[in-house]
Amino acid sequence: MKKEISFTLNGSEVSVTIDEHLCLIDVLRGPLGQTGTNEGCREGECGACTVIVDGRAVNSCLYPALEVEGKNVTTIEGLQEPNQKLSIIQQAFVDHGAIQCGFCTPGMIMSAKALLDTNQNPTEDEIRDVLLGNLCRCTGYVQIVEAVKQAVVQLKNKK
Amino acid sequence: MTNFHYIGKEASRPDGPDKAAGKALYIQDLQRPGMLYGKIKFSDFPHARIKHIDTSKAERLTGVRAVITAFNTPEIRLGFMRDNFALKKDKVRQYRDEIVAVAAIDPEIAAEATELIKVEYEPLPGLFSPHEAMKEGAPLVHETDPQGNSRTDNLVPLQFHHESGDLEAGKRAAKHVVEGTFTTPMVQQCCMGTAGCIAELDMNSNLTIWAKTQIPFLAQRDFNRALSDMGLAGKNARVIVPTLGGSFGSGLDTHCYEYIAILLAFRTGYPVKIVYTRAEEFANLSPRQSSTTKIIQGCDQNGKLTFRHVEVLQDNGAYTSWGATYPSVMMMPATSLYRISNVYFNAQLVYTNNTYCQAMRGYGNPEFTWALESNMDKLAEEARIDPFDFRMLNSNKPNETTPMGLKISTCGLKECLETVAQKLNWKKRHKKGKHRGKGLASLIHVGGGARIYRSDASGLILKLDDFGNVNVYHGGVEMGQGLHSVLTLAVAEALGVSSEKVLINPTDTGTCPWDVGTHASRGAFMACNAAILAANKLRDKIFGLAEVFYPQEVEKNLKKLKKKNPNYKPPDFDVIKAARRENFELQDGFIFIKDGPQESWLRLELARLLRAIHFRNQGQMLTTEVFYDPPNELPDFKKGFGNISATYAFGTQGAEVEVDTETGEVKILKMVAAHDVGKVLNPQALKGQMYGALAQGIGYAFYEELLSQQGKILNPNFRDYKIPRVYEMDFPIELEFIESNDRFGPFGAKGVAEPGLVPTAPAIANAIYDAIGVRIHDLPITPDKVLAALKKLK
Amino acid sequence: MKRFNYYKPRSLDEAWELKEKIPDALFIAGGTDILVGIKNGELYPPSLISLRSIPELNSIKINGGAYIGALTTISDLIHHPALYDIYPVLVEAAKRLGSVQIRNVATIGGNLCNCSPCADMALPLLVLDAKVRLQTAKKSREIPIDEFFKGPGETNLTPNEILTGIILESPRKSAKAIFLKKGRVKMDLATASLAALLEMEGEKCLKARLAAGSAAPVPLRLFKVEAQLEGATITDKLVAEAQQLAAESVSPITDIRATKEYRRQIVSVLVKRALKNILGWSQA
Repeated sequence: MKKEISFTLNGSEVSVTIDEHLCLIDVLRGPLGQTGTNEGCREGECGACTVIVDGRAVNSCLYPALEVEGKNVTTIEGLQEPNQKLSIIQQAFVDHGAIQCGFCTPGMIMSAKALLDTNQNPTEDEIRDVLLGNLCRCTGYVQIVEAVKQAVVQLKNKK
Repeated sequence: MTNFHYIGKEASRPDGPDKAAGKALYIQDLQRPGMLYGKIKFSDFPHARIKHIDTSKAERLTGVRAVITAFNTPEIRLGFMRDNFALKKDKVRQYRDEIVAVAAIDPEIAAEATELIKVEYEPLPGLFSPHEAMKEGAPLVHETDPQGNSRTDNLVPLQFHHESGDLEAGKRAAKHVVEGTFTTPMVQQCCMGTAGCIAELDMNSNLTIWAKTQIPFLAQRDFNRALSDMGLAGKNARVIVPTLGGSFGSGLDTHCYEYIAILLAFRTGYPVKIVYTRAEEFANLSPRQSSTTKIIQGCDQNGKLTFRHVEVLQDNGAYTSWGATYPSVMMMPATSLYRISNVYFNAQLVYTNNTYCQAMRGYGNPEFTWALESNMDKLAEEARIDPFDFRMLNSNKPNETTPMGLKISTCGLKECLETVAQKLNWKKRHKKGKHRGKGLASLIHVGGGARIYRSDASGLILKLDDFGNVNVYHGGVEMGQGLHSVLTLAVAEALGVSSEKVLINPTDTGTCPWDVGTHASRGAFMACNAAILAANKLRDKIFGLAEVFYPQEVEKNLKKLKKKNPNYKPPDFDVIKAARRENFELQDGFIFIKDGPQESWLRLELARLLRAIHFRNQGQMLTTEVFYDPPNELPDFKKGFGNISATYAFGTQGAEVEVDTETGEVKILKMVAAHDVGKVLNPQALKGQMYGALAQGIGYAFYEELLSQQGKILNPNFRDYKIPRVYEMDFPIELEFIESNDRFGPFGAKGVAEPGLVPTAPAIANAIYDAIGVRIHDLPITPDKVLAALKKLK
Repeated sequence: MKRFNYYKPRSLDEAWELKEKIPDALFIAGGTDILVGIKNGELYPPSLISLRSIPELNSIKINGGAYIGALTTISDLIHHPALYDIYPVLVEAAKRLGSVQIRNVATIGGNLCNCSPCADMALPLLVLDAKVRLQTAKKSREIPIDEFFKGPGETNLTPNEILTGIILESPRKSAKAIFLKKGRVKMDLATASLAALLEMEGEKCLKARLAAGSAAPVPLRLFKVEAQLEGATITDKLVAEAQQLAAESVSPITDIRATKEYRRQIVSVLVKRALKNILGWSQA
């Protein structure tokens, strides 16, 4: 059965007609063509598919598409600023060598963003807690944590 | 060149922004018009005859475009021993054997179709360990060899053997002798981006395949052979490498699914994409080879090693891939880590019905160093010598040749050992905390390529354009490790342009020169050496042409300047006379006369010069190419001799741990890693490689294991195959890079991609022994093994 | 077959009607367990009936005790302004469940209904003497939570019943509780876990509640250990006996995560550590 869903994606209203059994990741990567969100396991273990729904980081591979009706979804594509400028968190990842193959990167950044949107002064433990659901095989996480810490400082300075 | 502009300085990766923005295109993201999706039906038994395959229901499912088996496609063999088949015909030899493949208009229909396929089997007795498979009268995994001759046993006909010095004399000279048997499990590469490809044939039957591969050119060779098997002899495979979601060795061989995609593309006339799910990645892709190593070492009363006897047994699984050649790499530390004469090394590989194994970072070195460095500590204890002193005493030195014929040029091992000992406060290690301990372990690895094929070469093309851009074509593979970053910096540095003007083109056999593959930590070593050679060639060309064109262009500059500023008085300088090729310099994209006046009009933009050279009668465009072949040798692995690499990387890692003796849990308090890297090319990339490798080493040490029972993988998911997360890397890590400035390395650098995980597990095991007197011989060091060992102690 | 119909009823009545019509349909909350089960071919329901749009299931009421709606997400439990002060052990256990992404959609009801032997939310509720409210269109009943778990994946729910909420008593000020979880790594299904609660009067134990995870077919109250501790003056010797009794009370299995011997050993160690922690004794 196909159903229509409407929601806000990165600030714009979107509408798609989809099979009922799909999850949010299928809608994003399929009809909406937003391939920045990656599928790594489809079991909620790797976090590569992390997006933000109504301010909360979720695994889009386990988020039924029909549940996103009327909600506010942010994906990695929504972070970039006009004129090819990266957001502060994204630039911090680039600056700190926190990216190698990059497959986990969008998910990591979205997890960090969900934290920093609500907590401007996270402790290192709080940073690690929000990244716990994101697997990385390349970096060993050290530079990722450093990048998020840099983003905290820079976001504060921006204010 | 000691005042580098780029080398050794912080620089972020050129592909970082796209990856941070979610714009990088992995195989998962690529689409081709009309593309179909392929799905494979794998075996339901570890060993069985295929009696009948019923694909009728699958064929009738709406949306299915093709269903193929070995019965309706030409036979394609693969693997360097040619003992594997893209689709299985007579029998299946492992659970992951590919029997049927479907192409459909969407992945869900393809998956549904595979579920509608019925296969009838006649189960055969399975062999799940080398011991079972070596027993008299054991069933044969392969009844014939690839040439069709009957086989009589399950031994893989590959020999890895080394004997040097006088083993008996070595044994006699030994005052202390310690032996041990150590095992390592199968471990999965766990790339975050799973395996996959898109195969597409044009109407001339030439193939383009976007592949998750580390060996585009060897893959091209393999696929060309497959095309020939398909009746398309003379047709060509073009291999394009997209952005890779990691590789870690999994891309070092061609895979059945790639040939299946090609067969489906041929059958349907449409591009076919196959991408593995995570479960398929775990269960149906080849993992790291497991091993059993028996090692005996002896030393004299002063602690000098007198002999080393090593026997390796490997479960080869059902078919042969690069896991079978791990002993060729094991031979390196076996004969050459620490100064040792009198070495015996032999490896045996046995076919079984377990999954066959492939390359993974370290490629036998972590497996063997686990045994060697654990045994070294045991021997040190037996000889009553401190483990650090023991290693210093036997440390390798620069400019020596080892029993295997490895010609060590630079060697920072002593410095690495000292650094680790100092940072771990080694002298004071028994002062505080019960159940706390410190341990260390070292490594040797190839650092200057590795000639395991007839060629270890790497080509590179630099193409200048009218804008001063340097277009780089190189066949090495960027898999996240930062090859393209260092290559960008090396070209910029060696040529004398801004790194922003260096543009790396995608790895594509259609456009890039040949490269054997990105493995053995050779990527940066090869690419950067080739870049330096090519840049020097290009500078020669530029400076030669500049003799004519530089004076005329700077004359224009001077005219313009005088028009603007009529009072300007140029210095007394004969430009035409100075304009000789040996007087020019190119830096930051500007050409000027070395030691000439500092005037701005004498600095000519490279792009201007290039346009002047181009836009005239008999104009020229400047492109150079090199084919860099490093000074190393293809060893004879039956004799165990040959200088496989141009230079060797060394390193030492140390761990401080605390053991919870009630739960067996081991907590890492601190890790130190000191690596002789030759030269730091890009600090953040190097650190990233080291942290990432350490994380893999820690996983290897503590919890990574592919569990297999009767040939079936029991934990094909991240829920039960654990890899480190951010909390598991939450302890102080100190990295120290020793720059030995090797004359063979680009800017002095050695390859560094693999060393980071080679000594990690034994360093930890040695620390655990120091803490609680318990020696674990079988990886991973799980809490219940620690508890069981503690119980035994009591 | 991995396709299914997905319904979003807006009321409990609508939900029950759907289930009546489609008996093979499954109720789904956060979906983090069910969707994985469907993907792996372990579950193949023709339809899913989502309870996420039923407002009354998603609320927390504090009134001396507490009523927690079954569809309360684990994150909402953690971030509730009052819950941590009243039932800290519940929030501590919630923090150890999965990852942030999982906790943002997983629900307390879903965790209980999935009925894993290591269900993280089960243990604190067991030691808090929680009750669960189970409702059909016709009937509503409340049972003690330890009667809710019947076997691995098997609850006391009748076919059309929905777990709508969890009822907690007003806690005693003198009660202190702790949740301990061991895994192969930090984010893991419990290899073994324990919740413990003690109400002390001086050195005398008035009330003891202990529950072990991954140690039996269901999250298990350690009744014998509780009985041994209640009314007694807790000493080192008694703790050691409690450990022994706990080890004898559990019936763990060997699976790919751990052996039964190892689980038994860990339960014993966790009992000691939990009791000592609550009593403020040194762990040495």
